[in-house]
Amino acid sequence: MFSVIIYGRNDSHGYNLHKRAAISFNALAEVMSDPDDEILFVDYNTPDDHPTFPEAIHDTLTDKAKRHMRILRVRPEQHVHLKSKTHLVALESQSRNVALRRSNPKNRWILYTNTDMLLLSRNEGESLSDILGALPDGFYQVPRFEIPEMLWEAAFDRKDPAGNLAKLRDWSMRFHLNQVVHNFMPMKYDALGDFQAVLRDDMFAIHGFDESMILGWHCDSNLAARLALYRGRVDTLMDKAFGYHCDHTRVAAANNKGRKTTMNSHDKYIWNVSSPYIPEQAETWGWPDVEIEEVRLDRDTSYERYTAGLSQAIEPATVPFTSTSCEWHLFDDLTYDLSHTLPFVCDQMLTYPRSTRIMVVASRAEFVSRFATAWRGMGLSGRVLVPHECRLDLDHPAIETGRYADLLRRTDLFLFEFGLASQKDGDPVRTGREASPADRKQLRIVERLFRQAASTEPATRPPGRRTPRRFIGVNVIYNKYWPTFTDYVGANINPFCSQVLAGFALEAPMTMKEKILKFRKRAG
Amino acid sequence: MSKPGFLKSALEGASVLLQKQARHPGFPDVDAADPERRGQALYRRGRHRMRAGEIESALEDFDRAIELLPDFAEAVVSHAECLDMLGRLAPAKPEYEKARQLWAEGRVGAPDRCYLFRQQGRLTFEVESYELALKHIKTGSFPLSASGNALLARGRAEEALRFYDQGLKVKEKDPAILALKGEALSMLGRYRQAVDAFSSSLKANPRAPETLSGRAIAFAAMGRLDKARDDWRQQLSLLPEMQPAARACVALRLGDYEAALPELERAIAKAPADPYWPLYRLTALKRLGRPLGALSMPAGTAAWPRPLFDLLAGHATPDAVLAAATTDERRAEALFQMERFKEVAERAPPAMIEYAAARNELSRRR
Repeated sequence: MFSVIIYGRNDSHGYNLHKRAAISFNALAEVMSDPDDEILFVDYNTPDDHPTFPEAIHDTLTDKAKRHMRILRVRPEQHVHLKSKTHLVALESQSRNVALRRSNPKNRWILYTNTDMLLLSRNEGESLSDILGALPDGFYQVPRFEIPEMLWEAAFDRKDPAGNLAKLRDWSMRFHLNQVVHNFMPMKYDALGDFQAVLRDDMFAIHGFDESMILGWHCDSNLAARLALYRGRVDTLMDKAFGYHCDHTRVAAANNKGRKTTMNSHDKYIWNVSSPYIPEQAETWGWPDVEIEEVRLDRDTSYERYTAGLSQAIEPATVPFTSTSCEWHLFDDLTYDLSHTLPFVCDQMLTYPRSTRIMVVASRAEFVSRFATAWRGMGLSGRVLVPHECRLDLDHPAIETGRYADLLRRTDLFLFEFGLASQKDGDPVRTGREASPADRKQLRIVERLFRQAASTEPATRPPGRRTPRRFIGVNVIYNKYWPTFTDYVGANINPFCSQVLAGFALEAPMTMKEKILKFRKRAG
Repeated sequence: MSKPGFLKSALEGASVLLQKQARHPGFPDVDAADPERRGQALYRRGRHRMRAGEIESALEDFDRAIELLPDFAEAVVSHAECLDMLGRLAPAKPEYEKARQLWAEGRVGAPDRCYLFRQQGRLTFEVESYELALKHIKTGSFPLSASGNALLARGRAEEALRFYDQGLKVKEKDPAILALKGEALSMLGRYRQAVDAFSSSLKANPRAPETLSGRAIAFAAMGRLDKARDDWRQQLSLLPEMQPAARACVALRLGDYEAALPELERAIAKAPADPYWPLYRLTALKRLGRPLGALSMPAGTAAWPRPLFDLLAGHATPDAVLAAATTDERRAEALFQMERFKEVAERAPPAMIEYAAARNELSRRR
């Protein structure tokens, strides 16, 4: 019957976003009763190494919310062409249009709202699907009421949407929450963007949201103006449902700078709208030709993929614990426990597109083959690119070998492993083992290729790619490759136990001179 | 009394007067003899009282407006809202529903024409709101276009034209407002000027299906059928697949029944309750000389166009159908089904599908 369209990203937009959003997702699913109903969440421009926002809070969502939710992930690479034109990191019009284009065509209605709204039907027990199913064609709004921050934060249980809605029914009267704020037409009510129910056909006819609105604010009012022209009227649904907003003013959201807030022009986008249509974007709105990844929370989840991949690559441990050491006298020992490290390596991969191509440059052949097994097991379909220069004898269906210079221009992600080629599975770890001449020779190759890749990263990106590629280093903590790796890559300080560092190539590698100056500054 | 004090006092007096005026604006038409004007004035006064918190008085105004104009959906919904505000949701609920039903019952304009012809209701609330907006918004064209549209949708082309002209002063040569102006001129029968307005609009935005439709209708009314056909063909090429009803209408205007048939099938699947799509499907089959098959009329088809189905099924005589056709438009629809194309071309409003189809039929005969 209807597709709810909302958007956001995995960041901290406003106060206690995680709780607000969980309350809202669960409450929206709670008022759905048609199997075709869907919550389309556009995860816009979350960094590639982060999961989408709903994935990050999935444990706080009800099974019903997970069933109805489809996450459409817009990658930073897909946003980068707009980056220089806006101060915002998430764009409303683009997000909502991407979802509209991909919404279930069986659904007659589109409901535009936000991730902090609860919809309460006035007839207890009546679903929004039933309400919308019985409605004549039109453009409908409901008034939005505020829930004080104390109430939703202290009294709502994220996973009890029915209980939350019951509380709201009580509070609305007890605390006089229901105050309708009328507004100038075409904005029938204040904060209209939190409930705009529109026919899917109408949205296609008027070419979606206006994608030139990239400075934030008034996208909802622009839509209302255009739909008010198109339909003539803006109808109310206040006899059927009320909308409640989890107030979040303790902390200003990123797009709210008080009187200094940058906004789309009120005059241009509301008071000078003269047509419902946007002919300039008639063919392009919602990016019809762009492949947008879809993520589900009720099937094929990241956790399922992760465990599937690892279970193919490593056996469960047979002892309660193993040990290693980060003592300084073991600084030169490059042994590490592959079965322990691989889960932390794979942890870096799951948030990337399945078609990602990864270059693996390594000392240990076993690392590469086990990694390739896990890679395929995690459902990643891109090739594992291993340069001939590594001189590794590998035979795995996921692996493609080739000239380093050629592969460099095809890779989306880098993985450099600094281990001892001579280490076998089961060898003792960090006991003071010295590298053999063969180990040192192999490490020199890995180091050389790493330095080259990191220092030339912007120049060697695949054609058309504009965003930087990530570097993952394995066995680069508390050993001689720690400074090597971090001279070129802006990585965080990670626990030794994980063995893994990751980040983007620095614009200019840190030189020896810089290091000395830094040391002198610290000393003096 | 010092001068500034005197001035202040005088201004205060004036502002009290102005506030009083704002609180109690005049509603001279509440005593008008014409039920339409009187009903609308009562509605406006009711809305004003509602905003002032005088809910019981507002209810009385809405009651009287509904008594005068029983299909006045805006008054019905405002009445419901007043009851709701008083905590009387039970009696309000059926009224909210009734208002929606009243709006839905009105037949909307053809889907290939300008969007404004598909607007339903009196739009009194909207016009009033935009009038209010116009007092504050001096540099925006939106309230002017919206007010013009509301008036034009109610057939008040002369007044609409004034709003569009004002809109063009704010937004010079705006293609959308020019196209609306073209529609108003066309409704006034000023076809040559309408074509000029549409052409100016199309110069800026040539890929505007509804503007092409407007110009085609104006061309056809001027007797320039070739030009009209060019525009309709262009419009058809621009209309997306997901608008089968609009595509069917353009094909029907062109008299291209072969092209219209599949679009009508899809339009029926999309809106099975609309009786016009099966009716036009039967018309297309008949014009193509194909068997009509089972004459299925959607359940709940209103008093009109039921007689047209009966006519096609041979269950009604032409005279009986013409007797049931109570408006010019219905008469034109009936005459078209009787293949009296010349009469349709001479008498029907040029914006009707039947008018264009009849003109094309006649031109083919020649």
